[in-house]
Amino acid sequence: MPLGTLDRAPPPFFRQGPSALSKLAVFSALALFLMVADVRFQIIQPLRVALGVVLYPAQWLAMQPARLAGATGDYFISLSTAQTDKEAAYKRLGLQSLKANQVDQLLLENQRLRKLLELRSRVQSSGIAAQVIYDAADPFTRKVVVDKGALQQVKVGSPVLDEAGVIGQVTRVYPLVSEVTLITDSDHAMPVLNTRTGARGVAFGDGGGHADALELRYMASNADVAVGDQLTTSGVDGVYPPGLPVARVEKVDRRVDAVFARIYCVPLALVSGASHVLILDPITPLIPPRPAADGAADGKADSKKEARP
Amino acid sequence: MIMRQGQQLLLPANPLFVWGSMVGALLLNMTLNIGILGRAAWAPDLLAVALVFWTVHQPLRVSIGAAFVFGLLMDVHQGALLGQHALAYTVLSFFAITIHRRLLWFPVMAQTAQVLPLFLAAHTVGLSLRMVSGGTFPGFSLFLAPLLEAALWPLVTLVLLAPQRRAPDPDANRPL
Repeated sequence: MPLGTLDRAPPPFFRQGPSALSKLAVFSALALFLMVADVRFQIIQPLRVALGVVLYPAQWLAMQPARLAGATGDYFISLSTAQTDKEAAYKRLGLQSLKANQVDQLLLENQRLRKLLELRSRVQSSGIAAQVIYDAADPFTRKVVVDKGALQQVKVGSPVLDEAGVIGQVTRVYPLVSEVTLITDSDHAMPVLNTRTGARGVAFGDGGGHADALELRYMASNADVAVGDQLTTSGVDGVYPPGLPVARVEKVDRRVDAVFARIYCVPLALVSGASHVLILDPITPLIPPRPAADGAADGKADSKKEARP
Repeated sequence: MIMRQGQQLLLPANPLFVWGSMVGALLLNMTLNIGILGRAAWAPDLLAVALVFWTVHQPLRVSIGAAFVFGLLMDVHQGALLGQHALAYTVLSFFAITIHRRLLWFPVMAQTAQVLPLFLAAHTVGLSLRMVSGGTFPGFSLFLAPLLEAALWPLVTLVLLAPQRRAPDPDANRPL
């Protein structure tokens, strides 16, 4: 048997380094510190971005099989499917162009009326088109990753829409990609407006189990909410522009013993299956600053989470 | 060298192969996530299996520090709490170090039964951390993941030990 076929290096007897237990203690403490820093303070984001940049080539490589499979699938889609899709698109375009033509006139009219009433004019914001590349693997949250990042001027807090309505909000930005928290994430809350009654409320994500839905909380059990009501963004949060469609009321559960009704809504946008999305600039810099609060306690509530109203 | 009866003498492990297989497992994890399984809670963590395997077989090369760094990379990829996988892998690697002298005395099927509690512990660490920090409970399918990971152990043993099981003096009859 030739030399070098067995591991002949003797194990180190004297220089064994720190013991496994001490390493466990050190690295666990470090991990706990990172977690606390990640949740409580915003100082860890640069480290995350740096690791994300290192990891990006690997992620790009891992994306290729899926992309290749998708491209092959697209190639074999039959001609008839493409034709029906085109027909449907034309039909929708026809309907929308009618509306769009009226919108210009309405905008002008609205502007004049607002000037007449001396109301502040509506904020407008511009957008970036992006593509959802994958679902973030973390099963404890509802997030997706889109292919535009800080290099394309995506900002934290920007609302994200698809053609049917709001799908979420940008919560982390890397140089080339960014993470979008979906409206069905249980940490996500957004102020909404019932278009039928004009009542404002707060819709929370309801990602528990397999239900990708929303819940309209803190509505009194005798509030005027009916199945089929449309909810749109109310714009009071300074994040989402007003008037974007969000959800439709699916089930209203009024209980005698409860103060609030349980109202379940389904999102109008294709939240978990959207592929092409629009990232709007946050309207926060466009709206006037908040008046100074009297109490010192209010400053704390502002910094909690941007999605909260 | 004291060895189990009938155990084959192995060639020394190639460090390039050791680290390459860990990076490969990370890539495979990402491919599974991006292309196929999405955010399914039951998806087996191949990196955890590779990590335990090399910690048991090459404890002088792969140890807790490597586990920590790979855990951080997983956290960044998943968009999870930074440190969640790092802590889970650190714990996993520590337990692997504690059982590494005993484990290799058993045949592969018996090893599978002994690594299952390790994977279960790692997933429980991750789950409890997220429950404390206010995550959504992803459903009981989460506990399928350690079972799948343990079930992969014989396959991983076969694949990752293959280069070390080659003939020490290849000839015409034994080309590999």
